[in-house]
Amino acid sequence: MANENILIIGGGPTGLEAAKGIAELGYKVILAEKRDKMGGTPVSAGYAALTPDMRDAGEAMQEMCDAVENNPDVKIMLNTEITGTTGEPGNFKIKAKSNGDEVDIEAGAVIIATGFSHFDPGRETQKYGYYEHDDVITIVDAEKLLKSGTFVRPSTGEKPKRVAFIQCVGSRDRKIGNEYCSKVCCGITSKQATEVRELLPGCKVFIFYIDMRMYGYWENEIYWPAQEKHKVNYIKGMATEIIKKGDGLIVKGEDTTMRRPMEIPMDMVILAVGMEPSEGTKQVADIFGVKKNKFGFIETTGGALNTVSTNVDGVFAAGACTGPSDLEDCISAAGSAAVKAISTIRKVTITA
Amino acid sequence: MMALDLRQNKHSDVSFEEKERLFDEVKADERWHHVLNGCFECGICVASCPSARFYDFSPRVITQAVSREDTDLIYTLMSDSIWDCSQCFSCDRCPRENSPGQIITIMREVAVKNGLQTAKKALEGYGRIIYKIMSTGSQVSPDMLQPDAFPDWGTHVYEIAENLEEWRKAIPPETLHTTETGWKIDKKTIIELYLIWHMTGVMDLIEGVDEGLFMILVDVMEERLEEAGYDDVTFD
Amino acid sequence: MIHLPITKASDRHFKIDPNDAPVKDLREELFQLEKEGELEVIRVPDNHVELMTKYGRMKKIPIDKTWHHKSCGQCGHIPGYSTSIFWLNRQFGLDYYDPTDQTSCTAWNYYASATSNPEAQAAVAVRNFAAAHEVGYFPLIHCGTSFGHYKEVRHALIHQHDLRRKVKKIMERLGKKLVIPEEIVHYSEWVLAMKDRIAERQVVDMSNIVATVHPACHYHKLIEEDAIYDSEIYGAQRTAIVTGTLQALGIEVGDYSTWFDCCGFGFRHILVSRDFSRSFSIQRKIEIMKEEVNPDVTVTHDTGCVTTLDQSQFAGRAHNRNVGIPVMADSQVAALAMGAHPYKVLQLHWHNADNKPFLRKLGFDVEKVWSEFQDEVDKIKSGKKKFMTWEDADK
Repeated sequence: MANENILIIGGGPTGLEAAKGIAELGYKVILAEKRDKMGGTPVSAGYAALTPDMRDAGEAMQEMCDAVENNPDVKIMLNTEITGTTGEPGNFKIKAKSNGDEVDIEAGAVIIATGFSHFDPGRETQKYGYYEHDDVITIVDAEKLLKSGTFVRPSTGEKPKRVAFIQCVGSRDRKIGNEYCSKVCCGITSKQATEVRELLPGCKVFIFYIDMRMYGYWENEIYWPAQEKHKVNYIKGMATEIIKKGDGLIVKGEDTTMRRPMEIPMDMVILAVGMEPSEGTKQVADIFGVKKNKFGFIETTGGALNTVSTNVDGVFAAGACTGPSDLEDCISAAGSAAVKAISTIRKVTITA
Repeated sequence: MMALDLRQNKHSDVSFEEKERLFDEVKADERWHHVLNGCFECGICVASCPSARFYDFSPRVITQAVSREDTDLIYTLMSDSIWDCSQCFSCDRCPRENSPGQIITIMREVAVKNGLQTAKKALEGYGRIIYKIMSTGSQVSPDMLQPDAFPDWGTHVYEIAENLEEWRKAIPPETLHTTETGWKIDKKTIIELYLIWHMTGVMDLIEGVDEGLFMILVDVMEERLEEAGYDDVTFD
Repeated sequence: MIHLPITKASDRHFKIDPNDAPVKDLREELFQLEKEGELEVIRVPDNHVELMTKYGRMKKIPIDKTWHHKSCGQCGHIPGYSTSIFWLNRQFGLDYYDPTDQTSCTAWNYYASATSNPEAQAAVAVRNFAAAHEVGYFPLIHCGTSFGHYKEVRHALIHQHDLRRKVKKIMERLGKKLVIPEEIVHYSEWVLAMKDRIAERQVVDMSNIVATVHPACHYHKLIEEDAIYDSEIYGAQRTAIVTGTLQALGIEVGDYSTWFDCCGFGFRHILVSRDFSRSFSIQRKIEIMKEEVNPDVTVTHDTGCVTTLDQSQFAGRAHNRNVGIPVMADSQVAALAMGAHPYKVLQLHWHNADNKPFLRKLGFDVEKVWSEFQDEVDKIKSGKKKFMTWEDADK
């Protein structure tokens, strides 16, 4: 007889969606979250709006949390970190540290939803000076500013007149080792650019990119309106240096369509930092013996046809812990993982 | 800004087969796989390049040309563009880990090895450095500081040239009491340098670039080698 | 001042974790090759200091038993540069070696004219390394170009076994072993490692001096992982070399918007395409420094950079450009701080851009020190003395 609990590790969008789905199907969930509150990165990093539909992030995440909190079939454990595991599908015995105490958790299947971290721009190959210049910030910083409703230059507190976004920071780079594309930054940047243009109609906004990754409806929902309605300037050419000049900054890049080097003054520069596996993802993967790929993300074993199974039976991984994912990917994968986790338990129960 | 008109085929006097042969030689270099991966035209190399700001030069165009194996364009670039590069390697910032600077170094070596007319022209006036290393073992010597050699360095050079002998003796390190060489160098050391160039075929390269210089150097080198007991080493 | 929900740069601290380093430590492969009998590694002497490099690896910088691999351009045109490096070593009573069994690295010729090939370049490098090893000293490289080039050569010798085989054969013919030093060390790294000891012995107050720093391309853009970085300097976002030294001497280092730009030396251009070097160095470096910082001196750590920045200013003056910054090497500034004579040791008379205002600002009586040097020259002219010695230089 299998244990009918499913352990979900990580209380971000992926974990929350999976928990909701599993509970709706009549199975029990234990949701273990390292932090002291639910919501994952969108909440802890203070996201303002979601991409692509511009819905208020705080409100959206509250809705996800509400569906799960006060749900009798979901046991939420905050301040909880997994420390060890034994057993097999249907009968996992997991050790954890919860609020300082050692606890034991029993589950029939496990879903790892431990998410990602943002790339630290200090490790960037190009010379962006995040640790030197106040007015060089990341999209994570920008999100906080947008949420607070005050989008100003950190150095002076004044509204900027010229803002530049720089794409692919920490991604698509062999030197750093993050050869992949982080998938969401082009969309997030375009969204933020749009928000800046709405907040500050007098401010010119530029985006320096190598390629614009606008999958499916992002093209017409985000990209075209950014250019056509909000007059965001997209410049095909990457920046190599951001350096202080007088009161402002200079962005050095190549305008590849003009085929020449360019230097453009800016008041603020926003770095579109990419995704990397979170510490939690790496640790939990190791605890369960789950294989990671060379970038440290959890490797799913089914290629395009199975985005949630790992090399360990009964242990599934969904969302950004498997690689760069947008919110739509996370929600979809959460559903897939929920189904597979339940079917694991049912298989063990039936064969028992 | 010059438009790249590929219909013109600037070097129509050179056969396509010859252009291909030269490119094949570039690709056969042991370093080739380390210096060229793929290029997504981000422009970081151009953005950081000093030559791109002064010349009609683009490390991105060169990298694209060799990636696309555009033989005609590659030959055109090998004939002029590659000599504009300042070999500073700012372009090593490439996120794909290409090195446009090293691609150019390899293209230059092939141009020199094959005695391309454009390579000879690009190196006119450079012979004195080659002569200096070959005859003294250092690339620069005090007696090269002559006003006619560096007219744009100003009147200061006159003062130096006039006082050279004494001023060189008024430098504390013993090894710098020289005028014809940068520092005092052992005879044995220069012989070792000659042997290295003999064994690695460098003298053939020099012959291809500047035959007159080659003849002068060979006389000097063969004489010294013979003195040192190496009568079997000749440079033909 | 409104309160923002994000941090300012001064509150952001970049932590470098050596385990995150994106490049493998070359030393692993180097020692592995030594185990396999492919080559011999020259170990860094016991008396060394460790400095952090770009990705957190600690680099060993030898303090003594150094074999000074001299620079052609320095010895030829800027003799005060080499002299200041030796002078510093002598002040600290360090055991150093100034060889006559040393060739040029030939890298200037290579980058300028490509009339060479990887085997020749590698063989020249190894020949010099072997010469150092044979006398029991560790190579310390004076020139930035040599340093960059030798890093490339080391990389090639480790990864291309055909090249290694060819070079080994050449070395055998010369009766030498294939040796590679454990670290390729630039003299400016030695100066940086010594900065606190130099500051302890500082006798010339430099707190009224503002300087700009120009880092050599071949020092930090080639094989970047070997350059020295420091969390306290530029937040470890730019190399700490030279800046760290000057700050230890109390000099204010001013930042300018073309800090990362090449000086424009070009290798070939400085001789045969001179308009490029002149224009680039004046318009992209000197004028920007003047406009944005107006420094008393600009300090760099490479032969080509000193040459280009210094010599190009004459043409700039002739065209009424905004130029006029004296150019010096970090070792010269350090020596000056410790009381070295501006002309007998620093040999500033070989430099082009006017450095007298800089000396006066430091309190030197320029006419007096110049006449002290002239006295030495007169002794040589009159035949009283054959050469000016180290003792004469320190009188």
